[in-house]
Parts: sequence; C-alpha cells; structure tokens
Amino acid sequence: MSQFDSRFYDFLTHPDSPGQMAAEAKRYGYSGIVVTNLKINEGILLPDDFSIYKGIEIQAKPSRIREEIKKSKNSNIISIVRGGEEEINRAAVESAGLDILLQPLEFNNVLAKAARDNSIAIGFNLGSLIKLKGDARIRELKYMRTNLKHARKYKLEMILTGDSGSVYDLRSPREMVALSSLFGMTQSEAIDAMSTIPLGILRRKSPNYIQEGIELL
Amino acid sequence: MKTLPTLREKKRYIAFEINSENTIFRQDLVREISNSIISLFGDIGTSQIRPALMSFEGRFGILRCAREKTLETRAGLACINNIRGICVSIRVLGISGTIKGATEKFIQQSLIKESEPERR
Repeated sequence: MSQFDSRFYDFLTHPDSPGQMAAEAKRYGYSGIVVTNLKINEGILLPDDFSIYKGIEIQAKPSRIREEIKKSKNSNIISIVRGGEEEINRAAVESAGLDILLQPLEFNNVLAKAARDNSIAIGFNLGSLIKLKGDARIRELKYMRTNLKHARKYKLEMILTGDSGSVYDLRSPREMVALSSLFGMTQSEAIDAMSTIPLGILRRKSPNYIQEGIELL
Repeated sequence: MKTLPTLREKKRYIAFEINSENTIFRQDLVREISNSIISLFGDIGTSQIRPALMSFEGRFGILRCAREKTLETRAGLACINNIRGICVSIRVLGISGTIKGATEKFIQQSLIKESEPERR
C-alpha cells in the first residue's frame, strides 16, 4: 500500500523525555511530532529526518480563551484548544489564529461553519480510545461520530492525534487508521488527517507564509 | 472429516512486537487481547474475528484472525495499553497468510535490522 509512504505527524504529545519519544516515534514511522510541554532546550538528540515542533495547549476560561489565542497567533507555535462544553468551543472556533480544536463535545452546525471560516482543524483524540474503557469510551466514540459528520458536511480539516504522554501511548500510523475506522472514518481520510493536513498547518505556520496564496520564496 | 477448501475458514497471521516496561507473560497477554477485542466488538464481533495467539516469547508474537477482519484485530491490539499494571504498546509488524511467512518476513527481518548498526 503506497498510501502509507507519506510523511506522518502526531500533533499532540506531551512526553517527559522528548528525545526518547522522538526516537520511538521515528521507529513507529512518523516524521515529526508536536510537543506541547517542550522547554527551550535545543540539546535534544534528534534522529535523522525527524523534527519536533513546538505546540501550546491553551487552557483558560471561555472568556479568556480569545486573548490567549491572540497571543500565539503570529508565532510559529502550534496552538491547540482541548474542546469541551459549548462555551469553550464557541470561543475557540470564533477566534482566527487557532490551529486545532481537539475533541469538541456537543459540536453543531454553527460551530462547524465558524471553524471553516477561520480554517480551524478538528482534532480527533484517539488516545482517549486507548486509555478509556466501557461507558467513557462509548461516549467518546459517540462524540467522534457527530464530529466526523459535521466535519464531512462542512469540509473541515481533520487531525488525528494520539495525545501521548509516554512512549507506551504511541501507536503507529496503520494502527491509528484502524482506530479511526472504529468511528467510521475511511482510510484515505485518516491518512490525510495524519499527513497532508498537518503539513498544510506547518506550511501556514512557517515564517515565509504571509497569506493564503502569498508566500516568500 | 476434512472440509472442502472453499468452505475452510480463511485466516491471516499478524506478527506483532510488544514494547513494555517489564516482561509480559503469555497467559496475561492472551487474557488482555481477548478482553480488549470483546469490549470493542462484543461477543458477535469476536466470534467473527476468531482471535488466537499462536506463539509469543516475551517480545514478538503471532496472532491468528479471520482474513476479512484484520483491520478490526489491529484496532483491538492498538487499544491495549496496560497488562496487569504494566504499560505496554503493541506494534503490528505485518500481516501474512502463513505462520512461516509472518516469522520469516517480519520477525526475523526486524531482528536483523536491529543487529545491523552494531556490526558497523
């Protein structure tokens, strides 16, 4: 299957030791990870052809989220909001500059339209499928199904992430495809969500990018 | 009596590697795999998947499943993150139609790949 030859990215990890995580992710077939709790230490030993990007997980009250997003808007840090109640989701999708809204609960058409206007990607947290059992997992799958339905209808960008805190939470891209098939995602959608869409976000975040269609060469 | 070839149940062998903090025992792994698949797909789904652990020696193992259900089996294996309090992650190396193929193509290959850097 040649579809699995593309470059894969995991967009939300918070490992204790980024070096070990990077080595393991490389072995699992990823070409880059986003680390949200990265301290500024350039001394991490990176494997060849592998890169770590800096991310930030914004956690604030709904009223403060807009300001927090504005702060990270023009930097090259990838900003992620962990979705939750409607107020948080609303504040997140309405502020341009956010990159990913992860696992929103109670997603609806209004929020989906706003997310499309601000080109915010919807993240699916597959880590919750791995870590949870029983009722909690059923609930997560239910939310993922509704999110997928809206994302398809409004052509939103989708991101698959493992939300891994240690090397034991990491799964290889093929396993991620299998996990995403549990809530009805097709293989090509899942591969796009791990390769082309992350690459698009990284391109948008690069310092040479000015606006859609305008880029410094 | 021998079944006709067309009526035989077709199967696939999944070669996998376990990455764990501690050594895992075979019986714990068997229990965890069936628990995980049952909680994901229920009794009916598991009866269609027909999972069976063929061999396991602490790190590499081979799991048999129904030919049409490899994706589901992969998902079931991916959902395992804890065996008796030990953190684990299971990585599928490859899928083959025979035990011999799975052993030669995936398990031996990944052992060779690991030993290469040491030789240099």
